[in-house]
Amino acid sequence: MADIHFGLETEFGITRQNAEGIDVVAESIALVKSAKASGVRLRWDYQYEDPHQDARGFRVKELKQDFDEANYFAQDAARTLTFGEIKSDLVLINGARFYNDHAHPEYCTPECRSLLQLVQQDYIGDQLLMNCAKAINKTTDNPVMLYKNNTDFQGHSYGCHENYLLPRELPWETLAQGIQAFFVTRQLFCGAGKYGWESEDKYLQSGFQISQRSDFFSELQSVDTMQRRPIVNTRDEPHADEDKWRRFHVIIGDANLSPYATWLKVGTTALVINCLINGAKSDEIPQLDDPLHALKSISRDPYWKWIVRTADGRTSNAIEVQRRYLELARRYGDNMQGDWQLIFEAWEKILDDLENNPISTSDRLDWAAKYKLIESFRETEKISDDSAWLRSLDLEYHRLDQNEGLYYALLEQGTLSLPYAAEEFMVDTMISPRDTRAAIRGACIEKFGSRIISAQWDCVRIEGDVKKIELNLRDLFDVGIINQGIKLIKLASKAEDLEQLPFASVI
Amino acid sequence: MPDPTRKVKPMNPAPGGGGDGEGPKEPKVKKPNTDDLLKRMKKVDPDQAKRYRQRTGQ
Repeated sequence: MADIHFGLETEFGITRQNAEGIDVVAESIALVKSAKASGVRLRWDYQYEDPHQDARGFRVKELKQDFDEANYFAQDAARTLTFGEIKSDLVLINGARFYNDHAHPEYCTPECRSLLQLVQQDYIGDQLLMNCAKAINKTTDNPVMLYKNNTDFQGHSYGCHENYLLPRELPWETLAQGIQAFFVTRQLFCGAGKYGWESEDKYLQSGFQISQRSDFFSELQSVDTMQRRPIVNTRDEPHADEDKWRRFHVIIGDANLSPYATWLKVGTTALVINCLINGAKSDEIPQLDDPLHALKSISRDPYWKWIVRTADGRTSNAIEVQRRYLELARRYGDNMQGDWQLIFEAWEKILDDLENNPISTSDRLDWAAKYKLIESFRETEKISDDSAWLRSLDLEYHRLDQNEGLYYALLEQGTLSLPYAAEEFMVDTMISPRDTRAAIRGACIEKFGSRIISAQWDCVRIEGDVKKIELNLRDLFDVGIINQGIKLIKLASKAEDLEQLPFASVI
Repeated sequence: MPDPTRKVKPMNPAPGGGGDGEGPKEPKVKKPNTDDLLKRMKKVDPDQAKRYRQRTGQ
């Protein structure tokens, strides 16, 4: 397996029980500010952010904004907070980032090297947000409510992005073309399910579909993320040495409550990337005739046949496309062991189950769990197909509250399979992935706290007694050097003690 | 495009599902409580989603 690092960025929905007149931006800022978790505030270094660079070799002048945003111009213009205060960045001791991304609290996991680390860090993020809401709710009779989902059913979507750091040698077009049909069809097991069809800024009609996000994609490739979203996002912002690394920024996933779905989503995607790195040929890789049409038709198919037309004019289905990717990932994946072998097995099993009896996946997949739960309730309560109640129940599946959310009720019932034993990933401490650069970031924040001048994915600056020390994480992927760094940070009594690290310099 | 007026045919839920062999494990959980699940669902305000409005994110 190629050395691929990965992580998630999840934007959460936020409201109050009595939502009349609330300003979701203010709510999001207040939530982030309420976090009691250990970390440093307002130290995120924005000079290294550049979402305008396109992987196809050019730079765009501006990113598209959603049309609906014009409605909030006056409200936003009246804010007296500084840019930093609006963002309210908190960099945590596990190496994660928690901040207000425009109008949503967003948790970005630290960089992970294993799937266990990934589901652990995703779990830590969910707990962090729940704790913030709990703390606020002790002081109000109008509780904050959080949702790990991707839509408000009125055409406003927010993302759960994945990031894969991979060698730059893999040409962009090989990656973009090779993974396109995989992204269109992986919603079979990554989808979180939705009652309703939408388009940008609009609710269209009732009807169940397997994905939350598929309604919101209308381009094959582009750098945009808020409007006219692409299947393959071309943002070229490696947060690492740009001559060696590429960060593949994936915006086409749903936010999953089920850790099994998260595990399978990131695991299968990493295996497909690995297969492309290892030289899978373009004529071996499935291509769809009309990927954008297929994306919606798969998601909305009421018969769960998921028929697609391939580029060579054949009629196929999404399961067959996935099986082809599985076969290629196996062929081009040498010496797969441990978790990766388990992903192969789980991938094959889920495709078989989806073919034989889709709802039998309700112990693993969000969309099937949600559908089975809500449909049985709908029949009992005689709720009509087009009732808004179905959307409310859908929303409640995603409620980030262990005492209220329907996903958590299913978890408590014992009807859900987990990718690891609960005690392995449902951790109650802010541990960092110990073999990635995130561990260096996290250790610095824990050790030097208020002396942190700035932090970013690829750089940490620390105020010493007499010097300023910069740790350059842009090419820090050697586990031996990372371990050496962690050891030294723990022993250090001042920032200057880190000078001897091979990735440290005085600034 | 599928015909939205046609309904999904109800399917029989299968017991269990994946999780065999060396793979994923069943969670360690408290004893099943279907009453709690039903209670939570009945408590959901049918109009909650109508009031839920977010701003577009990424």
